[in-house]
Amino acid sequence: MALKGLDFTINYGEIMVLLGPNGSGKTTLLMILATVLKPTSGTAKVLGIDVTKQPTQVRKVLGIAFQEARGFWRHKPADILRFHAAVCGVPKAKRDVEIEEILKALELWDDRNKLFMHLSGGQAKRLETAKVLIQRPKFAIFDEPSSQVDLRGKREIWEQILRLRDEGSTILVATNEVREAEYLADRVTILDQGRSIVCDTVKNLKDKIAGGDIVELELEPGPDSARLQEELKQIKGTVNLVNTGENRYKVHVSMAEAWVPKMTNLCFERKARLLSVKVTEPSLDDVFLHFTGKALEAPKNA
Amino acid sequence: MLEWLTFIIQLTIYGALISQLVTAPQLSANYQQFYAVGFIVMMTYDIGSHTGRHFVEDAHEGRLPYLLSLPISRTKLFLSMAIQGGVELILMLSVPFAITLALIGNLNIISIVAALVTLFCLGFGVTGVMLGLSFIAFKSADVYSAITVGLSSLIIRFSTVLYPLIFLPPGYATAAFFSPLTYGADLVRLILGFDPNILLDPNIAVAVLIALAVSTLGLGLMLLQRLVEGVKAG
Repeated sequence: MALKGLDFTINYGEIMVLLGPNGSGKTTLLMILATVLKPTSGTAKVLGIDVTKQPTQVRKVLGIAFQEARGFWRHKPADILRFHAAVCGVPKAKRDVEIEEILKALELWDDRNKLFMHLSGGQAKRLETAKVLIQRPKFAIFDEPSSQVDLRGKREIWEQILRLRDEGSTILVATNEVREAEYLADRVTILDQGRSIVCDTVKNLKDKIAGGDIVELELEPGPDSARLQEELKQIKGTVNLVNTGENRYKVHVSMAEAWVPKMTNLCFERKARLLSVKVTEPSLDDVFLHFTGKALEAPKNA
Repeated sequence: MLEWLTFIIQLTIYGALISQLVTAPQLSANYQQFYAVGFIVMMTYDIGSHTGRHFVEDAHEGRLPYLLSLPISRTKLFLSMAIQGGVELILMLSVPFAITLALIGNLNIISIVAALVTLFCLGFGVTGVMLGLSFIAFKSADVYSAITVGLSSLIIRFSTVLYPLIFLPPGYATAAFFSPLTYGADLVRLILGFDPNILLDPNIAVAVLIALAVSTLGLGLMLLQRLVEGVKAG
């Protein structure tokens, strides 16, 4: 995937999530940062080090968990980590203790003597994450870290990534999973067709959407339901109102804190009994849709 | 193990039979001994090819990005692959080489060591060629296999691995000068006591083998940096 007009900076010690659909250029970007691919133009720096001018120096501060977990087929997880730790300069005295700790945390300890070729996709993916965790690089990259992993495993991987951030690493995560992005991101960069569309915190991105809050209402059936629906649409701040069932409405509003009191006053005046009110935020899916005009797909490869 | 078994069968059955057919006054030694050395040189070539194949397989099976992302320089990565080839060479040649030495007999430690050094030099040269080729064809194991099989046919057939230069027809003999195996095979035979009159000048053979090892490893390193690290990303 060709990258063009891609421009963003990651602050030290934060988790930046690259959110984009299949083919948006996430993996290409990560490969460039990891010095596996060389860009034909432009500049990329990792912790201030230019990836094309000093690739070896970049590799010394960087660790990457690839999207496709590929290992040496006839090696065991513990051996793979031992090799990786040795190459990455983890002191010999610490290696075995840390390998045990990480394998246990990622629930791979019981399978530590299985050959790589016999691991499931999810186990291989967790082992890929384990490589970066044992390395504790200053700059860590995770490419779709929890794809193919079950729900419990996802949570554990995310907790380990957050812990790595808390220990001082700067982290870049590429994903097309909204939940993963919301769980991990300090900031999100939305990528589409090789371009960075927007970059901000999750909250700010959601606030940038007109009708950024969603209010779900349920009213007691009454004689003037149609009129009340029209009056709800007239409340200042209503962006869109959708009838989702009998006397049920989903209303996109610009600011729920201001809109809900006006709505309750209206219901009180019209003697319409309010059965339930639920205020929710838009998801990053909605944010992606807003900025790109497309739904965020959820296939594997980027 | 399979290579060792192949060597033993080839030497004891085919080698013994063919030695009854190939006789000439110039061959002071039994042809079976000549054949044994030639077979070892062919094995050296094959092991060098394996090293390149490992690289292609690493690329093909997705391990290459991992290797390229490790915190080591490309030079160290390349040398580690060449050393891996060297270690494989030591392990795989150990038994056939010992059998060949026993067959030839009457050798001293210096000639044994010199023969081994020559084989390693040849092995590194072949490894360099194969790694270089693998960088060109690293996206396809099939392309790599096609190239190496075609190349091995030419390099082995048009060389003095199986027959001395003076036995070869003029066309073959001219082509054999371009095969690195000619220099490796003749130099090893000279060191192991074969008649120098049927072999190439050892000074030329030494120069060619050293030049081959240095230039191909250098070329391989350059290709690794230009073709692999420099893959166009857009």
